[in-house]
Amino acid sequence: MSSAVDSGGAVRFAKNPVVQFLAAGLLVLVVVVIGTVQLSSRAADEEALNDAQSTTELLARSVAQPAIPRGLAAGNPGAVDRFDRTVLRRLLVGEVRRIKIWTAQGRIVYSDETRLIGDRFPLGPEELDVLRNGGTEAEISDLSEPENRFEPAGQSLVEVYTRVKSPEGEPLLFEAYYSATDIARRREQVYDAFQPIALGGLLVLVAVTTPLLWALTRRLDRTGRDRARLLERAADASESERRRIARDLHDGVVQDLAGTAFALSATARDPGTDTETARRLEPMASSLRASLRSLRSLLVEIYPPDLRADGLEAALEDLVAPAAAAGVTARVEVYDVAHASADAVRLVWRVAQEAVRNALRHSGASHVTVQVQQAGDRLTLDVTDDGAGFDPRKPASGLGLRSQRDLIAEAGGRLDVRSTPGGGTTVHLEVR
Amino acid sequence: MNVPLARTVAGAAVATALLSLVAPPALARNGDDRERRGSCSGSTDWKVKVGPEDGRLEVEGEIDSSRRGQTWRWRLYHNGSLSAHGLRTTSGSSGSFEVRRTSVDLRGTDRFTLRARNTRNNELCVGTVNY
Repeated sequence: MSSAVDSGGAVRFAKNPVVQFLAAGLLVLVVVVIGTVQLSSRAADEEALNDAQSTTELLARSVAQPAIPRGLAAGNPGAVDRFDRTVLRRLLVGEVRRIKIWTAQGRIVYSDETRLIGDRFPLGPEELDVLRNGGTEAEISDLSEPENRFEPAGQSLVEVYTRVKSPEGEPLLFEAYYSATDIARRREQVYDAFQPIALGGLLVLVAVTTPLLWALTRRLDRTGRDRARLLERAADASESERRRIARDLHDGVVQDLAGTAFALSATARDPGTDTETARRLEPMASSLRASLRSLRSLLVEIYPPDLRADGLEAALEDLVAPAAAAGVTARVEVYDVAHASADAVRLVWRVAQEAVRNALRHSGASHVTVQVQQAGDRLTLDVTDDGAGFDPRKPASGLGLRSQRDLIAEAGGRLDVRSTPGGGTTVHLEVR
Repeated sequence: MNVPLARTVAGAAVATALLSLVAPPALARNGDDRERRGSCSGSTDWKVKVGPEDGRLEVEGEIDSSRRGQTWRWRLYHNGSLSAHGLRTTSGSSGSFEVRRTSVDLRGTDRFTLRARNTRNNELCVGTVNY
C-alpha cells in the first residue's frame, strides 16, 4: 500500500513541469558541456597548432633565413659557429624546445643540440613535399626515432617544419619543436575562455526561467483546482435539483398513479363489478402500472434512490431497466463493494449512467454488461457493450464522459474508453 | 699579384716552421680546458685556450706584444673553416689583446686555429689547439 503511494508520489513528482524543465535543462547542460568540450578542444588544438605554425614561419623567415651564412648548407664548421652565435638565443624563444635545419638529403646541418649536426636521417614524404613545394606542416614527434634520441623521456613534442633557403639558393627544411604540454596549456586557455560563455549563459537562463515556470505552474494548478471545484459545485447543484424533482415526483405523482392503479385493479377484481366493466378496467390498470414503471425508471435515471455502497447494485439494476424495452439484454454484476466510499460510489454511478445511456442510445448493442468490483484500494467499473463501436482517436461529439474526466481526475481516478469500429465499447473507470 | 701573395704565404710558412723548431708551443691542461702557448714570427707571444661553456666550446685567443697601440688582423678557424675574424689593437700595461668566441662542439676532434697578423710589420702568429 505504501509502495503504491510512493509510486504515485514519484509519478506526480515526475509529471511536475518544473521538474521536467529542470531535467530537460540538466540534459541540455550535459549535452552543451560535452559539445563545448569537444568543440573548444578542437578549436584550441587548431589555435595552438596555428600559433606554433605562425611562430615557426616567423622564426624561419625573419630570424633564421637572413642569418644563414654561406657554407652552412655544406656543413662548414665555421659557418655553423657563426650561425649558432648569431641566432641561437633568438630561435629558442617562448615554447620552442628544439631547432633543426636539414638538407634535402636528410643531413642535419644545424641544431641547437650540436651532437646532431652532421647526422643523416631519411626525410618523410611530408617533409620532402614541404621542401619541394613550400608551406608549413605540423605533426606529433615520434620520440623513438633516432633523430630524437636526445629528447628527455616521458615528454611529448609537436614538430612544425617549413622551408628556408641558403644564400647559395639551396632549399633547407627548418624544423621547430614545441612541447605538447605547452600546446595543451594553450588549449586549456582557449577552453577556459569558451567555458564561461557557453555554460554561464545556460545556467543563467535556467536560473531565470525556473522561478517563472514555477510561478506559472502554480497558477495553472490553482486554475485547474478552481475549475474542478466549479465543476463539482455545478454537478452538486444539478444533483440537488434532480434529487428535488425526483423526490417531488416520487412523493406526489408516483404515489397518486400507484394509488389509482391499485384502485383500478381492486375495482376490476371486486365481485360487485360487472364482468364487462371489470374486463375494461383491467387493461387500464395494467397500462397504468407500465407507465408507472417507466416513470420510476425515469426517476432512477434522474436521481438514484440510494447511492450508498449497499444500494449500488439495485441502483444499477434500475439504471439498466429500460434496456429490456429497447430489446437489449443487460446484466449487472457487483462484487465486494461494501467498503467503497460514498464519493466513489457516486462517481461510479454517474459514469455508469452516461455509459449505459450511450450504449442504449447510440451503439445498437444487443448485450450490455455493467460490472463493479473492488481491486485493492480502487473501485473499478466496466460497462461493456457489443455495439458498433467507434474510433477513439476521433474527437467525440458528446460532452457526457468528457465533462466527467476532470471530476474523475480530481478524485484521483482514471477513465479509459476502449473501442474499435464494429468491435463494441468498454468504458473502464478506476477510482479510490 | 699572385706572386707577392705566394711569396708572403711561403715566407710566413717557413718562418712559422722555423719558429716551431726553435720554440715549440706548450700544451697545458686545466680541468676540461686545453691551452697552448707559443711565439710568433717576431717578439710577440700567442695563447689559445679551448674549454666547454654551456653546451658549447669557448675559444679564447691572446696576442701579447708588450707594446700598446699595435693593430692586428685576426682570424679564428674551426676545422679549417673560418669561424670568426676581426681587427684589434693591443692595449693595457701588457700591450696585448684577447678575443673570445663560442663554437659548436662537433663530433670528433675540433681543431681551432688562431691567425693574427700585425698590420704594420706583418708579424704573423699562428696558434692551434685540438679539442
